[in-house]
Amino acid sequence: MEFLLNPYYMQLITFIIINAILGISIYLTLSTGQLSLGNAGFMSVGAYTSALLTLKAGVPLYAAVPLGGAAACLLAAIIGIPTTRLRGIYLAIATLGFGEVVRVIILNLKITNGALGLSSIPSMGVMLSKGIAAFGLAGGIGGISVRQLGSIAVILILALILGFLIFFALRLSSSRLGRAFAAIKADEHAAEVSGIDTRYYKLLAFFMGAFVAGIAGGLAAHITFYIGPKDFAYHRAVEILLFAVLGGSDVVWGPILGAVLLTVLPEVLRFATEYREMIYGAILVLMMAFRPQGLISESTLALWRTKLTRQPKIAGQDKVTRRTTP
Amino acid sequence: MTLLLEQVTKQFGGLAALTDVGFTVNPGEIVGVIGPNGAGKTTLFNLITGVLAPSSGRIIYQKQSLVDFKPHKITELGIARTFQNIRLFEHLTALENVVVGAHCRMKAGLWQGIWRTAAQRQEEKNIREKARELLNLVGIGEDELSLAGALPYGKQRRLEIARALASQPDLLLLDEPAAGMNESETDDLQILIKKIQELGKAVILIEHDMGLVMNICDKLVVLNFGKKIAEGIPKIIQDHPAVIEAYLGKEED
Repeated sequence: MEFLLNPYYMQLITFIIINAILGISIYLTLSTGQLSLGNAGFMSVGAYTSALLTLKAGVPLYAAVPLGGAAACLLAAIIGIPTTRLRGIYLAIATLGFGEVVRVIILNLKITNGALGLSSIPSMGVMLSKGIAAFGLAGGIGGISVRQLGSIAVILILALILGFLIFFALRLSSSRLGRAFAAIKADEHAAEVSGIDTRYYKLLAFFMGAFVAGIAGGLAAHITFYIGPKDFAYHRAVEILLFAVLGGSDVVWGPILGAVLLTVLPEVLRFATEYREMIYGAILVLMMAFRPQGLISESTLALWRTKLTRQPKIAGQDKVTRRTTP
Repeated sequence: MTLLLEQVTKQFGGLAALTDVGFTVNPGEIVGVIGPNGAGKTTLFNLITGVLAPSSGRIIYQKQSLVDFKPHKITELGIARTFQNIRLFEHLTALENVVVGAHCRMKAGLWQGIWRTAAQRQEEKNIREKARELLNLVGIGEDELSLAGALPYGKQRRLEIARALASQPDLLLLDEPAAGMNESETDDLQILIKKIQELGKAVILIEHDMGLVMNICDKLVVLNFGKKIAEGIPKIIQDHPAVIEAYLGKEED
């Protein structure tokens, strides 16, 4: 117990959850087949909006974080309307450029404090600790200090948000909209001729991804007390993409697994910090060579489902690999 | 009148893919569009379904001009199509493919899908039932859970027709549905198209299989180099000198 309450592990868990939320954000845009590398940019917009609202305008934290998400969404509307007309690699490049533009703007604005970044952002943990103390538990309970209780509360809140987003993504994928997304991903032209307003749904997915990334940014800002333009640079955009590449982007569990692995891995490989980028590169290449669909795909889930329930296999589903063309 | 084309022209730069093509399709009619490769048949389908915009001319569907409508809107108005090279959603199941086809006839929005409201569940249930009926109609009811990409070729063709029918069209455009089919499969297809006609739907059929075309079409439109060279009932077209020269003559050589 003492071991788990170590601030280092608590911090690691919060980072895992925030990265998992970012994983969901890229999953949502990818579920329509759009490769957007702008999620780091949307994350920074969410983080800065939320941080500035609490710092300068005294907006309470619980309102500032959703407002950060809304700001990211608003920006997504401005850049999404022209860019979602682009496909594949062109969209990736345009959104990557967008992320860099956001970073440079943040770097040069006075209100964002330039390269120094924003510090002493109101902390979610401190706020929750105070709340718990005010509740009459200033001395903590059972040897757990009030600070640790605050951290536990932060983790619980983050887990709740993540839980809701997973629920959202799962329900979405089995609904009319989710099927439209899947159809667009599979064959945009056929989807359009089947009566799906592809432009609308692609924009919707783009917005949802931006909103979730903005929320993740806001949460990150209030957990780390400090944000700077470097936190949202190119490497962040690639890291988010890697969650989906490693874990897979077919089902929501893929990018979540990717996020967990890629958050824990650098900690385990602490001795090899200098080689981190190299290891990331190696993972990318190996995944593309041996398992392009990522660690978890629909067939993986189907396989586990049959293994766990031991039900007779559905005809034709067991030996099917994805995207087999006759 | 279901569909009316008037002096439809489509130019790609200097190349005229279609020049002044016009014909009509009446309710419940099967119209065959034939012509050698490159005659502009698929371009014609792309114009009707809004994938391409005509350079000039009018396309009127049930008294409404289709020019400037987006493809998904045209599907909603009641025109559905299949593709020459099959375009299914390969890693969705056969049933899901058909349900996707019914997209524009469903209402559930984002939040209804997330919270699974009573109305949403009812709609899903109804649409699945209808999709199963369509799969049975085209004769692949037992394959509903198979991934579309894993189905054999003939069944994929049928599934594509089922997906198109799911949007409840009044006019169905079939682009070479018999391509790559053997004789018995083509016979089954013929029965299926007749069944679709009996449902009161008009069909435009692009096809190279002359046996099929002559058997089921109420009217034929013959294109060559983007121009309509003949139109009429199959019996007349068969003996039309321009057609024999452009198309059938070559077949018989």
